[in-house]
Amino acid sequence: MDRQSIHNPYLPKKAVLDFVKDEIDGVKSFYWHFLEEADQQAFSNFLPGQFAQVSVFGTGEFPASLPPSPGEGKLFFSIRQVGSVTAAFHKLRPGSIFGVRGPYGNGFPMDSYTGKDLIFIAGGIGLIPLRSCIKYALEKKDKYRKIQLFYGARTPKDLMFLDELPVWEKQGLEYYLTVDKGDDKWPHAVGVVGALLKKPEVKIDVANSIAFVCGPPVMFRFVIKDLLNLGFDPNNIVSTLERYMKCGLGKCGHCCIGVAYVCVDGPVFTYEQIRKLGEDI
Amino acid sequence: MKARIIDKSDVLKIVDSLREEGFKVYATFLNRGHDSTFDLVTDDNKNDIKLHLPNPYYPPKRFLIPHIEQLLNIRKNKEDIELSENIDSTRKAIFGIRSCDLNGINHLDRFYLGGKFTDPYYASRRRNLFLVNVVCTDTEQDIDENCFCLCADTGPAAREFFDLQLMDLGDELMVVAGNSKGEEFFKFPYFKKCTQAHVNKRGEILARVRHQFKPNAVCWFSAAIRLITEGKVPENTWELIGNRCFECGGCTYVCPVCTCFTVSEHSGPNGQVVRTRIWDSCALGGFTRMAGGFNPRKAIHDRRNRRFFRKLAHYFIQRELSVACAGCGRCRRVCHGDVGMPSVVEILRKSIVTNQCNSKNG
Repeated sequence: MDRQSIHNPYLPKKAVLDFVKDEIDGVKSFYWHFLEEADQQAFSNFLPGQFAQVSVFGTGEFPASLPPSPGEGKLFFSIRQVGSVTAAFHKLRPGSIFGVRGPYGNGFPMDSYTGKDLIFIAGGIGLIPLRSCIKYALEKKDKYRKIQLFYGARTPKDLMFLDELPVWEKQGLEYYLTVDKGDDKWPHAVGVVGALLKKPEVKIDVANSIAFVCGPPVMFRFVIKDLLNLGFDPNNIVSTLERYMKCGLGKCGHCCIGVAYVCVDGPVFTYEQIRKLGEDI
Repeated sequence: MKARIIDKSDVLKIVDSLREEGFKVYATFLNRGHDSTFDLVTDDNKNDIKLHLPNPYYPPKRFLIPHIEQLLNIRKNKEDIELSENIDSTRKAIFGIRSCDLNGINHLDRFYLGGKFTDPYYASRRRNLFLVNVVCTDTEQDIDENCFCLCADTGPAAREFFDLQLMDLGDELMVVAGNSKGEEFFKFPYFKKCTQAHVNKRGEILARVRHQFKPNAVCWFSAAIRLITEGKVPENTWELIGNRCFECGGCTYVCPVCTCFTVSEHSGPNGQVVRTRIWDSCALGGFTRMAGGFNPRKAIHDRRNRRFFRKLAHYFIQRELSVACAGCGRCRRVCHGDVGMPSVVEILRKSIVTNQCNSKNG
């Protein structure tokens, strides 16, 4: 009787894979749409920084960030093949049906950053979750002041969305690139991403900026130190965390860090919050 | 709350009535020795139901969140995929649930039904569950040296959360209805009027039982909550506790309050796939290991720390409005390293005392 009346958040919605784009070694972007128009509508007002649970039927489910901005009008995931389910996802062909639940998590409070400079600092595939915010900010350029991206990776071949950077530059993005190990043709900097912040041509208005940081744990630690040295308020540094996750609903317990469930309280936290979680990240 | 009296020889008539009302009734039975269990009541075994016995190891939370349950049935056709959910709406009753476990179910309610999302599998089972609580009054049978409900403020007599509560007054039992579902049961003719004398006797028995708890029943719970919340537990104390943990996960599996689960998919016949959820444990090494191998909570004492932090940090108590420990003592009974909840609370208390003495001397 009342069975139908409860919404079952564990039930994935069916989605169809449209096409696959190779990004960097091991990472592909999967463009898709929901099978049902109603699901597409319900999903379309997600926030930058939210994530989805992706099902490969027969293998399992994994959490994935949403790289498109809500205004972009297209849906895709950029996925690195790391475990068994992402490996199965990489094997999907256009036309394949998979499952999506979401959007989940809090997302970045982009409205509260109105009138600020936005500084994006990314390492490796850490640019994937930040892409949504960058696109969102560029679409609403007049709401924000300067938009800067500082992006580093191991080699030039490990940089994501390289083809899009010139387009974003035309839309008002200022960007700086660095790699740990360049080659003969590499025109940009070599070194850690934190060093980009100290370049003489880089002007940062510390008091009126929000710093978005996303990357591997080592990079995160050093960049945070650099930002704090520059005088950043820990409340103005935001990041998005990732954890092993099974439900996305705050029930399975795997993603808990200290007092926070990454899936419902996060994945976006300020550094001030991260410091006070009660457990190392 | 309304109350009635029932003769001891009539008490199993409640079980009969529940079965006639269409409930699958699970009651407490004694196996050999001190082993006890919740089992399905049938015509054959119903006379073996025991009111007073050690609380079963295997907690009654399994009637709400089974250790393995099917979330989804996935059927792959040539072109399409068919998904169906399997929501259990069997009417079940637990006869003889202890006050600690009852408080455990209250906590599970707050966790699974509250928060941003409601768990529909849990909600359906909970809606169809009838709870008959038995107050632990037999200090030889019901209560052992591991029980610390007094300290967790959950027993020996639950104040709420039951549909019916039975309390042994000797030749008779006092039956209290916790809600309208329970009161409806008073229509049956075997219930008699409850007098002030009965109420007084109940009070006397409870006062006596409270004083007969074993010394371990007092474990400075509130002090432990304060120490953990304020982050005042020294790192070497967590290491000491961690070193005694065998990583078996037993404490979480017998816990009437632990909620964590994992989800996995299994292939069946005819291209069918079943997505199941299975109890999981934060004590196990792979609990937080991500795809690719990175494990943010690698050290064993981090994981031990985790379980007690989750249960005792004020933030979580506020979040669920109840402590994630029912005081049943199962974790201490099951733990080979003696780092169940009462022992850990004691270790924390001692570590602070020792540290304070050291700092005064130094």
